[in-house]
Amino acid sequence: MAGASMKDIKLRIRSVESTMQITKAMQLVATSKLRRAKERMENSKPYKSISTAAVAAAVACCDDPSVPYVTPRAGKRRCYVLIAGDRGLAGGYNANLFKAFSAHAEGADVCALPLGRKAVERCHRLGIETLSDDYPRVEGMSVGTCYHLARLLLDGYDTERYDELWLVYTNFVSMMSQEVVIEQLLPVQRPPEGTPHTLVSTVYELPPAETLAHVLPDFLAGRLYSALCDAFASEVAARRSAMDSATKNAGEMISDLKLRYNRARQGAITQEITEIVAGAEH
Amino acid sequence: MSMATFHLQIVTPDRMVYDGQAERVIVRTLRGDVCILARHIDYVAPLGIGEARMTDADGVTRVAACSGGMIGVDSGEVRIMATTFEWADDIDLERAQRAQKEALERLEALKHEDRDFTIAEAKLKRALARIHAKE
Repeated sequence: MAGASMKDIKLRIRSVESTMQITKAMQLVATSKLRRAKERMENSKPYKSISTAAVAAAVACCDDPSVPYVTPRAGKRRCYVLIAGDRGLAGGYNANLFKAFSAHAEGADVCALPLGRKAVERCHRLGIETLSDDYPRVEGMSVGTCYHLARLLLDGYDTERYDELWLVYTNFVSMMSQEVVIEQLLPVQRPPEGTPHTLVSTVYELPPAETLAHVLPDFLAGRLYSALCDAFASEVAARRSAMDSATKNAGEMISDLKLRYNRARQGAITQEITEIVAGAEH
Repeated sequence: MSMATFHLQIVTPDRMVYDGQAERVIVRTLRGDVCILARHIDYVAPLGIGEARMTDADGVTRVAACSGGMIGVDSGEVRIMATTFEWADDIDLERAQRAQKEALERLEALKHEDRDFTIAEAKLKRALARIHAKE
């Protein structure tokens, strides 16, 4: 009996060990990808902050209420750009994002542009109408692709397929913490009344509204690119910490199993000795 | 006497191309070339596709191919938010020439199918700007 259980434990140890090898390898891959992902993310920050400020300034100067992209429409159909992971096994990364999205989109008339395979699958499962399913890979998405996306999204907005454009992605706060962000992209939000802006005297080569219409595709592409970089860094960081704790867990399980194995072995030996001694006495 | 300088930032979606002092910068807006010097009035213009020239604080002038986005001057801070911005040294001439050829062929094939035509035309302009800046 002791022998059989020893064999069982040995098998368990072996299987946990091979799982641990996999989680360890995934952790290493995530660690090496994380460095590049973080670099890309940092590089995308300046454009995001500078262009956001410039667009806010141009919007503040738009007095004309009929300007497209600024004036809210009567319709309330929303389009969500949903940036999720290419793969699973990243802790709560995908689940948290979809939870936040479902809560936000509750009861609204919704369509979506899913980016990342998990997002595409999710939209299909929920039966949400998608603008395109052609972007199942977030990793390594280029600026050029973001321009295509921006054009696609503006086309949809211009043809009134939807009236509001929202962006859902995971913001990289630190290695240990990533948070889901939901932002409205269109119509562009006016800065709150009373925000001081010194731009009254600014000379606009073209009227602010025209300037805005011209730079909006660029601005949108830049925002998407930055969000994608953030999301991918978050995904890799989430996967790294998930795999890190999985590896630690496996290590604990193995040492626990080894202890049990040794106890079983000791038990078997003791029993054998007792039996032999008992045999010799008789 | 050296000229007055101003703080210039040039950014594209994927990186900060330049962040430092400059004597002057020339870019092509939709209305034509403009030259920005220190103490320029607050100003905003969308950018076209063409050559850009920057003279840094040491008086060295560099040429670049620049397209899309906008230029803004805000309280003496000059910011160029471009779709693409490549210094002449970094331009791959062969690639640009290939792109020029492809764009020309596409334009020929499309003639006047509106949207694709506009895209191919923009590609051609970018390729030409790169070739020009390189030369």
